[in-house]
Amino acid sequence: MDHFKCENLSISFGGLKAVNNVSFRVEKNSIFSIIGPNGSGKTTIFNMISGIYKPDQGRILCESQDLVGFTPDRIARRGIARTFQNIELFSNATVMDNLLLGRHIHMQTGIFTGACLWGRRSKAAREEILNREIVERIIDFLDLQSVRDQYVANLPYGKRKLVELGRALALEPNILLLDEPSAGMNTEEKQDLNIWIKDIQIDFKVTILLIEHDMNMIMGISDRIYAMSQGEKIVEGTPREVQSHPEVIRAYLGEEHPC
Amino acid sequence: MVEGLAIGACYGLFATAVVIIYKTSEVVNFAQGEMAMFSAFVAFHILSVYEWPFWAAFVITMIFSILLGILIEYLFLRPAKHPSILGLIVITLGVEMLLMGLAGWKWGAEQKYFSLPLNPSVTYEPVKGMIVTNWAIAVFAVTAFIMLFLYVFFKYSKLGIAMRATQQNKHAAKIMGIRTERVFSFAWGFSSLIGAVAGMFFASRATLDPAFMMEPFMRAFAAAYWGGLMSIPGVIIGGGLMGLIENFFGYYWPHWKPIVAFIVIILVLCVRPSGLFAKHFVKKV
Amino acid sequence: MMFKKKMVMSLIAVLAILSVATMTQAAPPAGFDDNEIRIGQWGPQTGPAAPWGSVARGSKLLFDVVNEEGGINGRKIKYFIRDDMYNPAQTVAVVKELVERQGMFAFVGGVGAACGMAVKDYLAANKIPWVGPSAADQDFVNPLNPYLFAVYPLYRDEANILTKYIVDKLKMKKIGILYQNDAYGKDGLEGAKERLATYKMGLVAEIPVEPTEKDLASQILRLKNSGAEAVLMYVNPTAAVIALKTSANVGFKPQWVSANTLSDYPLMFKITGGLFEGVITGAFGEIPDSKNPLMVKYRDAAKRLNPQERWGTFYYAGILFADPIVEALKKAGRNLSADAVMKALNSIKDYQTIGPKITWTEKQHQGTDSVMIQKCGPNASYIQLQGWTSNDLATWKK
Repeated sequence: MDHFKCENLSISFGGLKAVNNVSFRVEKNSIFSIIGPNGSGKTTIFNMISGIYKPDQGRILCESQDLVGFTPDRIARRGIARTFQNIELFSNATVMDNLLLGRHIHMQTGIFTGACLWGRRSKAAREEILNREIVERIIDFLDLQSVRDQYVANLPYGKRKLVELGRALALEPNILLLDEPSAGMNTEEKQDLNIWIKDIQIDFKVTILLIEHDMNMIMGISDRIYAMSQGEKIVEGTPREVQSHPEVIRAYLGEEHPC
Repeated sequence: MVEGLAIGACYGLFATAVVIIYKTSEVVNFAQGEMAMFSAFVAFHILSVYEWPFWAAFVITMIFSILLGILIEYLFLRPAKHPSILGLIVITLGVEMLLMGLAGWKWGAEQKYFSLPLNPSVTYEPVKGMIVTNWAIAVFAVTAFIMLFLYVFFKYSKLGIAMRATQQNKHAAKIMGIRTERVFSFAWGFSSLIGAVAGMFFASRATLDPAFMMEPFMRAFAAAYWGGLMSIPGVIIGGGLMGLIENFFGYYWPHWKPIVAFIVIILVLCVRPSGLFAKHFVKKV
Repeated sequence: MMFKKKMVMSLIAVLAILSVATMTQAAPPAGFDDNEIRIGQWGPQTGPAAPWGSVARGSKLLFDVVNEEGGINGRKIKYFIRDDMYNPAQTVAVVKELVERQGMFAFVGGVGAACGMAVKDYLAANKIPWVGPSAADQDFVNPLNPYLFAVYPLYRDEANILTKYIVDKLKMKKIGILYQNDAYGKDGLEGAKERLATYKMGLVAEIPVEPTEKDLASQILRLKNSGAEAVLMYVNPTAAVIALKTSANVGFKPQWVSANTLSDYPLMFKITGGLFEGVITGAFGEIPDSKNPLMVKYRDAAKRLNPQERWGTFYYAGILFADPIVEALKKAGRNLSADAVMKALNSIKDYQTIGPKITWTEKQHQGTDSVMIQKCGPNASYIQLQGWTSNDLATWKK
């Protein structure tokens, strides 16, 4: 049984084929990167996986279950978390609250019992304590202690990217989609991120799908790379194989850095 | 003055209903008044046609109002394709007219008598010249209860938190596994419930007819605006202020009473465009 | 909210104009032939003012009775009711439809000053008499509109008479007024002031109310603190309910005295939860259970011909508003013409059925200055306090 697989995914917007016949398989607990120039359809693939767009054709299989047609919230509950290129946080809330919201799917208490936090030993209280423990662990892990009670709107860009990553982790996903996590970060932050992603793969036992422009990072951490251009596949393989592919060199590496 | 404050609390309560929907979807629900009107008519119907005791009618009306809110959201707002906020607001205007027509058709336009089981002749005078009526006490009690409930609800319950999240970022909320549809259903149901309570208070002061909530809605909307459309305590304070100011003018310069609220709105708009008590975070681009 | 209302209104207006524009510009068809005389009325059968829709149905009763008795000089009356939902734009549309499609000889009744204003000039331009508007408006009769014949007593006269009653009969000196902030309420205010001036007195409180206002707490408190023993009400039913309920709450118990607009006691009694008991009102018609032979006749006819209709003041107002046209048609004789009927209408003198005495001349079309004074008794019963009383101060007569 395949862990995660996309089969013949296609979608077009008003006649423009954004993604055309894309298929790939992702091994459990691996890092699978998608590269390509801007507008080549990378984020569109993520949007289809997370249920924001519905593909015109093709299947998205997670442990042999077809996810096409699922709403985004159902996909989240299926264990697929993601971050966004442009950061989609609850900016009028603290870092802590944002991460706690990530625990939403793991909360069992109903509408009204949730309001009854009386008694340390109640089910709701125990659940709350567990949720907070998990969130604290993530805050420690991503080094966010200094900003944990600050409003997200007041944070610098790089930090907000981390909060978003943390929130995705709070879902305790099996599969994590990271859309340009390093964009807007300085070199130092990028190095940290590099390590964290690797740690997430190992410590949290998560399968990671990654969209990135930073070639050093991609080549360093990816298990497999899928290179695409104008919605179609160029080549798929190990970092070494992809790096040496002439079309990749021409379409991607040979030109100015597209960022 | 107490009476003014009670009226204000009533506006505030009703404004809360407006704010709950606004908080989750940024849609101003123009059908709010008519939803409350419709629920009040249901209570009236149960009381006068089936002659059930008030509390039974009250409970049934509450349930009805929740279902009405959910149904309206499900039938009219959800199917809208790629809705803009303006589009949704226009839909609520349509719903408003629809409800008004339905009520006129079912119960007629004639004014109806509606009262709460509060003896109007029992009043209290704790301080000389300050008369407190049963009605005012009931309004204060209900408003306080609903406020407390909302506070706890938004702060601690899973759904309350989901509602706040949905309002802030619907996209992200979905990705967090929040069933945003359910959040909207709940917001509409709950808002409709609060509206129905406020509607019954208004109806017991005046009469019940298909158009009777139009005026309270405008004032409640004004109160909501004062409060910044987002903050529930702000809205209650806005309502209370409105009640006081209006009654002050009503006593000394009755000619000015009907417009003073709206003059103040314009002033508020000029000075603090996002309301008196708003902590409005503009999403950075 | 207002802008929405306006939008709907203007939409209806546009539709009305379009529907009129598509019609041919030929002269409208005649309003009668050898067998029938066509008479129309607009009135709110649905919408917010629907309770007043009974006026139009009351007129129908009169015409049914007339037809049952063989019609007028060999012709039957064909009567048309159109629902205008109390919306002037709609009134224009339905009246034009009746005039230009059906051909109307006359209009009777017609609820609402604004609705009437919207069609008054149109009817005059088409030389169609309009008898007994179900609204009192100075503008209907002043300046003289040759085709409009008013039966309804003016609010100013009524307030004058009511104020005199309060001072002379009730011996109350402190009078306040709660009046709707429009022509209706202001006419009442004028009348009360005019009368009080003859006693060298003034009002202790003049409180305006917007028609849609839902909270009168401060206004009532103001009245209470003014020490008013009697309060005149020139407001709509909803405002009256709020005023009475609020007063009961703050323990304010003056003698309420109201315009005839609130003279439908069963309705007022019901919607105030009984608080209307004891309120004194003006009235433009006999009390419902009057022994007046004509009242007996129509009451029995109503039971027979329209049994489900409530025998309320506004229902039989429809009869008394329309009575004069029947009289004029009878006088005009078999050789019917618009001129003959106009002449007959202009020579109606001291004509009385179940309303006040009506007199019209070529120069004066306000038919009466008289009202009755009645009081709401237990269980919404009618108590007649004073019969037809005219206003000796009526300015329009001079």
